[in-house]
Amino acid sequence: MTGTVAVTERDPGRQIALVDLLDRLLGTGVVLAGDVVISLAGVDLVQVRLHALITSIRAEMVEPR
Amino acid sequence: MSEAPRLFPQRLETDAESVERDLFKLVLTIIELVRQLMERQALRRVDEGDLTDEQIEGLGTGLMHLEQAMEDLKARYDLTTEDLNIDLGPLGPLLSE
Amino acid sequence: MTETGRYLYAIARDLDPQVLAEVPALAGGRLEVVEHRGLTAVVSSVDLEEYGEDGLRRNLENLPWLEEVARGHDAVVQATATRAPTAPLRLATICLDDDGVRERLDAWHDALEEVLDRVEGRREWSVKVFARPRPAQVAADSPPAAVSGAAYLQRKKAETQAREADEGTAVAVADEVHAALAARSVAGRRLAPQDPRLTGRADRMLHNGAYLVEADEGDAFATLVDELATAHPDVVVECHGPWPPYSFATLEQP
Repeated sequence: MTGTVAVTERDPGRQIALVDLLDRLLGTGVVLAGDVVISLAGVDLVQVRLHALITSIRAEMVEPR
Repeated sequence: MSEAPRLFPQRLETDAESVERDLFKLVLTIIELVRQLMERQALRRVDEGDLTDEQIEGLGTGLMHLEQAMEDLKARYDLTTEDLNIDLGPLGPLLSE
Repeated sequence: MTETGRYLYAIARDLDPQVLAEVPALAGGRLEVVEHRGLTAVVSSVDLEEYGEDGLRRNLENLPWLEEVARGHDAVVQATATRAPTAPLRLATICLDDDGVRERLDAWHDALEEVLDRVEGRREWSVKVFARPRPAQVAADSPPAAVSGAAYLQRKKAETQAREADEGTAVAVADEVHAALAARSVAGRRLAPQDPRLTGRADRMLHNGAYLVEADEGDAFATLVDELATAHPDVVVECHGPWPPYSFATLEQP
């Protein structure tokens, strides 16, 4: 089975995908923030900063050698 | 500009009906992460060869039960491993599948 | 009276301002040019309430705003780049006034000349490589009692090794594709793989490459991409272009 190749020639109607455009137009590219916001009935209640949580778990899980 | 744009912040929109499931999803994600870290660490220890056969058996059985427990929990709330994965941006996805 | 600034879209050489005649500017403004030392900045006036530092901080997190501005910006860049060597600028490069624009042109002059030499007569192509969709995972149905603890760990180790082997293969394919394409381009760049939730593609992106190709070698490049795709049936290859040279014209803007 051959790989599928989509070769697109630009015509006036053809757009660059937004994610590609933003990657190139924004200095930092496009990143999804890794915070989880828990809301109830439309009210944001809790923001869980998972970065910090993961760091502390890893530190405890790895035994010192 | 220094900050990356925050697109699609993960928002667990809950209401009275779905709050249980949604919060559970978050909790399960953390548990699943810990489970995977434990498994990885166990494999490392086994590789290092400083465990007795008894210890290896105990580890394996324990982890196996843990995996089964996770499957049961996920099934109860109709969640797949995909559902549990949260993207941490520069840190990549939370679970390494 | 609200404060306005000058939004810079791109800087070009030997640009005939007429090519901008029918192209809309952002925020209902009007495209104009500021010329200095042989280089032309394409600009339009914008409201600093919306495009100033505070405004941007707000608006950059607003996806509909971001999309509208990105598209508007791109439309101007494309109109310019198809007719003259062009250095596209990043989104939201703002100067207070035309004197400010001229100052920038002055400060960046040499770097710009270099960039324009690099991109003149060339176009950017995007080539992405995706892993093929994985076969559905076998359901973990075996009851715990059927397997010993040690055997369970063995299985997990085998799964990890298989995953790592796949990873190694994927990296090798990406490297090979990139090397082959870069060899036939003026320049090649590896961009960060894109998050599946942004692309809408479930499959893992193994490679996100940008290549600077002579304008009249586009067909040859596309043919090469085809050949690479055929040589690697285990992946999906996607090619888009020609685009303005976004990935090859960046000045590190202070």
